[in-house]
Amino acid sequence: MEFFTSDTFRTVLTALNTGFLKTLQLFFITLLGALPLGLIISFGSMSRFTPLRWLTRTVVWVIRGTPLVLQIIALFYVPGMQKWFNWPSGESGRMLAVCVAFVINYACYFSEIYRGGIQGVPKGQQEAGLVLGMTKLQIFRHITLLQMIKRIVPPMSNEIITLVKDTSLARVIALQEVIWMGESFMKGNSGIAGLTWPLFFTAVYYLVFSGIVTMLLGKLERKLSFFQ
Amino acid sequence: MKKFLSLALALTMCASLAACSNGASSSGNTSGSESTSGSGAGSSSQAESDMQYVKDKGTLVVGITNFEPMDYQDADGNWIGFDADMAKAFAESLGVKVEFQEINWDYKVMELNAKNIDCVWNGMTINDEVKAAMSVSDPYCLNAQVLVVPADKADQFQSVEDLEGLTVAVESGSAGEDAAEALGLTTVPVQKQSDTLMEVSAGTSDAAVIDLLMAGAMIGEGTSYADLTYTLNLNEAQGLESEEYGVGFRQGSDLTEAYNEFWASAVADGSALETANTYGVQESVILE
Amino acid sequence: MAILEVHNIEKHFGATRVLEDISFSLEKGQALAIIGSSGSGKTTLLRCLNFLETPNHGSISVNGNVIFDANDPITQRESEVRKKRLHFGLVFQSFNLFPQYTALKNVTLAKELLSQELPEYKQNKKAILEEIQAEGRELLKKMGLSDRADHYPSQLSGGQQQRVAIARALALKPDILCFDEPTSALDPELTGEVLKVIRGLAEQKTTMIIVTHEMAFARDVADEVIFMDGGVIVEKGPARQVIEHPQEERTRQFLSRYAEN
Repeated sequence: MEFFTSDTFRTVLTALNTGFLKTLQLFFITLLGALPLGLIISFGSMSRFTPLRWLTRTVVWVIRGTPLVLQIIALFYVPGMQKWFNWPSGESGRMLAVCVAFVINYACYFSEIYRGGIQGVPKGQQEAGLVLGMTKLQIFRHITLLQMIKRIVPPMSNEIITLVKDTSLARVIALQEVIWMGESFMKGNSGIAGLTWPLFFTAVYYLVFSGIVTMLLGKLERKLSFFQ
Repeated sequence: MKKFLSLALALTMCASLAACSNGASSSGNTSGSESTSGSGAGSSSQAESDMQYVKDKGTLVVGITNFEPMDYQDADGNWIGFDADMAKAFAESLGVKVEFQEINWDYKVMELNAKNIDCVWNGMTINDEVKAAMSVSDPYCLNAQVLVVPADKADQFQSVEDLEGLTVAVESGSAGEDAAEALGLTTVPVQKQSDTLMEVSAGTSDAAVIDLLMAGAMIGEGTSYADLTYTLNLNEAQGLESEEYGVGFRQGSDLTEAYNEFWASAVADGSALETANTYGVQESVILE
Repeated sequence: MAILEVHNIEKHFGATRVLEDISFSLEKGQALAIIGSSGSGKTTLLRCLNFLETPNHGSISVNGNVIFDANDPITQRESEVRKKRLHFGLVFQSFNLFPQYTALKNVTLAKELLSQELPEYKQNKKAILEEIQAEGRELLKKMGLSDRADHYPSQLSGGQQQRVAIARALALKPDILCFDEPTSALDPELTGEVLKVIRGLAEQKTTMIIVTHEMAFARDVADEVIFMDGGVIVEKGPARQVIEHPQEERTRQFLSRYAEN
């Protein structure tokens, strides 16, 4: 019990909290960017304009077919090494680069889920809208969209839970998220060195957060169960 | 609009792929020209003066890891340590601000080349790999590799002969790995020096080889590794030269020469020793 | 003047000719039944009338105005097509109700969206929407579904769903209401309630085209019957005559097969 009131525990907790804030920041920015971008990409991958469809699907293949960690490294280091541009200095530049990599990566995964969701809505729904004189946009907004959302919530939940944990990859370019902070006490941080428990303690953060996310997504799923 | 966006996205991706292949070939070129830049620091080619670049932006970005007693944070989150304090003094001598940036040690060369940092200043052991990829300063500190074992078995490992058949955890690409391999030991390369201690603690490796400086900070009483201790100094035991620490700059950088001059004057006026005393590394500092 | 005139419609999917040289006309207030075995092209014909398929050849006129001409691309512009569709209503074989909306909302949705295009929509939004609601409830009442207005499709039986679909098609007051095998997806005991509703519409002189397999129903309700086979119209005439005294051999064969079943 004393342990939980000790200075060490408090110091470690403060550090882990700081790290977890970065984890959360990355998580929410990725969702905010990748959810709409994924929809746009899914339209590209369903386009009747063949070159665009081909191009989009190739991009999705490359992004989904290569490790995210590699994309992060490439996106962060290659522009500077090639003298194209430099990311802003300091932690904010790293966060920006990681966010861009995550948004693109997750948008590609989401786009495939969207595509499955849209194509899974029976064709008759669209035809019913057409014969009632609706525009394509109206059909998407008022008919397809909600049915698609209902279809994609379960697979999307999987991806989002994965995203919670994937944020830890950001430490490859020294973004100081929660695992980085946990590891820092092994080597030495704030005068504390040789501690391994902070690393394993980060699991608590992930568990609690993914628990909350799971609960919210479950709620959404139940909310959409009013129709079939 | 959606067509345009997905097109733009696709182009970006293709471009970055192309960049990767370019990156590979150009890094080949720079390592080829390394011999010319290693010592001269390119003082004649002022057109691309690295020092001017740093002065223009007004900040020296120092790439570090959290590495007591060289670079670590005090209770207020300020970076202190022997290297950190010397880096502050060096930046001051250049008339620029200092900024510490924690990096992933595996990517220190890329960090330099991508100009995310301006130097690597973190108790970096000078070896051939480091010299091939960076412009390295004169050595300023000595270090040795030590054998870490469980405390209750310490008496079994007092000489090089005792090590036969041991499985030893080392940091991948570290000086410790080189030392262990030179002894013909079976090595388990892991990501970080700190991970090697977990190996020993968990019994998955018999022993670990890490920096003396680090062993001092990370094992023994008051740490998670109270049951570990270090016995052999491998450099002494093998009759090898001690390792030397240096500061790494971009290849061809004129900052290397500026640093060497800075260090010489810090030794001469006694400020180097004073700082070393603050952090208890006076035994290791090279004061010549 | 005929309300609908179809001239020389042809439709092929690749090398397969689904419709060949289809011509017929329909008078206002009349009901036309189209019979034929599956694959005879009758559903495709309905889909052509509703612009879900584009004929490769021929023209379609409503009230004397050409609304489709295969040789005139102007008549096929998307923005034009959307308005012209509203001459026709279509009731699908598999209902295609919108599952996320109540029965009432299924009926009113399209009208609500269309009313947004009215110039006075902004000022009178509330009144307009209330009127649409009232009309929707009235339609559901006519279908005998007053107490089901707030049910979701999944809470309704097949027969009830199809009646909602009919109300939905009627809500836009189409000139011609098309039925695509409206009872084929229903359990036999539920077909009666849907046929009764259609019969009622016929009695009120609703102009209708009904693709159906219910021969007795076609005979009793329709004014005219068209028998299609292999993408062509084989026989066309007054309902009672075609079904009870077919002139063509192929019609006779088709009907006798039905009689056996």
